[in-house]
Amino acid sequence: MKKEISALMDGELFEDDAESLLDRIGRGTDAHKDWELYHLIGDVLRQPDHIHCDLSAKVRERMRDEPTVLAPRSHAVKRKARTFALSAAASLAAVGVVVWMSQQIGTETFPPMAMQNNAMRPVSKDIQSKSNDYLMAHQEFSPSTDMNGGASYIRMVSYGSEGR
Amino acid sequence: MSLLLAPCGKLLGGLLLTVTANAYAGDSQACLDWLKTVAFAGHQTDYTGVFVYQYDNRVETSRITHLAEADSEYEKIEILDGPRREIVRHHGHVWSYINHRMVQVDSHKGRGRFPSLLPDQLSRLGSNYQPKQEGTERVAGYDAQVIVFQPKDNLRYTHKIWVHTDSGLLLKAAVMTDKNQVVEQYAFTQLQIGGKIDRSWLNRTVSSRHEHGPSPGMRDSDLPEPEKNADRIQQTDSGWVADSMPPGFKKTMELLRPMHGKHAPVTQIVYSDGLSAISIFIEPDDGDEDDVAGLTSRGAVNLYHKVMDKHLITVVGEVPPRTVVQVFDSVRFKGR
Repeated sequence: MKKEISALMDGELFEDDAESLLDRIGRGTDAHKDWELYHLIGDVLRQPDHIHCDLSAKVRERMRDEPTVLAPRSHAVKRKARTFALSAAASLAAVGVVVWMSQQIGTETFPPMAMQNNAMRPVSKDIQSKSNDYLMAHQEFSPSTDMNGGASYIRMVSYGSEGR
Repeated sequence: MSLLLAPCGKLLGGLLLTVTANAYAGDSQACLDWLKTVAFAGHQTDYTGVFVYQYDNRVETSRITHLAEADSEYEKIEILDGPRREIVRHHGHVWSYINHRMVQVDSHKGRGRFPSLLPDQLSRLGSNYQPKQEGTERVAGYDAQVIVFQPKDNLRYTHKIWVHTDSGLLLKAAVMTDKNQVVEQYAFTQLQIGGKIDRSWLNRTVSSRHEHGPSPGMRDSDLPEPEKNADRIQQTDSGWVADSMPPGFKKTMELLRPMHGKHAPVTQIVYSDGLSAISIFIEPDDGDEDDVAGLTSRGAVNLYHKVMDKHLITVVGEVPPRTVVQVFDSVRFKGR
């Protein structure tokens, strides 16, 4: 469950899975708590000026206390909301068309694309793993090693260097 | 009257300037003192803890254990996510456990156990960055002093550190761009300072193996003997220079050194502005097709390399990409 939530936040979940997960988050209190906690962790790591803390309960409370205003103005708001909904539907449809098109296009377009990629390859995995040796040699003489200690060496063994 | 007032005003203005300058110098000095404490505490303290490292939208969790023994420091970093990876540092040697094997990756002689944040390095830092104390915060359950090093130009990153007020250990460190975006950061989530720390892995390091001889129960993570690389590193004057080194970066050393995976020795020139360093590596081009020119980055470290005049030149530093490229473009052979 936790893994799925984290994947959803990274946008790595397929649409069906995401939908059912969002459904569960909406219902289950545990999943909902995890969802909020993960966002809080993300926020703290990004160091914003203000950290998100769960305001939803408070907002709901205040909303309950607000008197309901029955005024013709609400009509305009509603229309605006419908336009949004429509444009969202339109973009969804557009995505659908693109997906459909990419499925229809045959495999013959792939070889040239692959060749192009090969010619461009600005940063290949080989270079990444080779550059580790330079990073390592550099690190030992950097003042940052004096401050961070061994933690600076994490750069060399992080995921990016698996190809070694 | 106005003639009389004018010098008075000047005097007053001058006085005010002096006062603010002094206040600024006081804060700045306090920050530099903190930095000295950090460097000292980092080497002298026994600690073990779990920290997160965040860069390029990735987060990794690692455990670090640091022990200051009578002979030298021992340090072990284990990556807790993904495939098993480990780094051990001891007495200027660095081993790395990758692909189920412990290999020695670097070795240096004359790297003492004491911090090398020398006074001239600290004064250089003060002229390139504006240090500022930003109150206290809590990190990993400890109270920390927050200090920001704001660079005076956009060729450097902003460094922000959280220092444990009691022990002086670095609890959190962030590197930020001039637009205040975090490039990378480390933060302890759990930390034990002193007390009972597992020392069993020390026996598996090289120096103690020499004393006890190889044990029958040797595991695959036993450290191989250090190669005699350290003896083959020598000071040199290669005749290579970089004309557009950003102001404040001073050459701290120039070496001719063997490097992992290289047949010929490589020249390494290191420059430092007190907080970050830039290394230039120069080696004969061996025609390796994999040496494609390009810029790579890992967290706050940027690397640019390209073949130029039959030499492979590599510039590495904890500085923004534009700085690495600027330095690279100015590298030339001046002659000895």
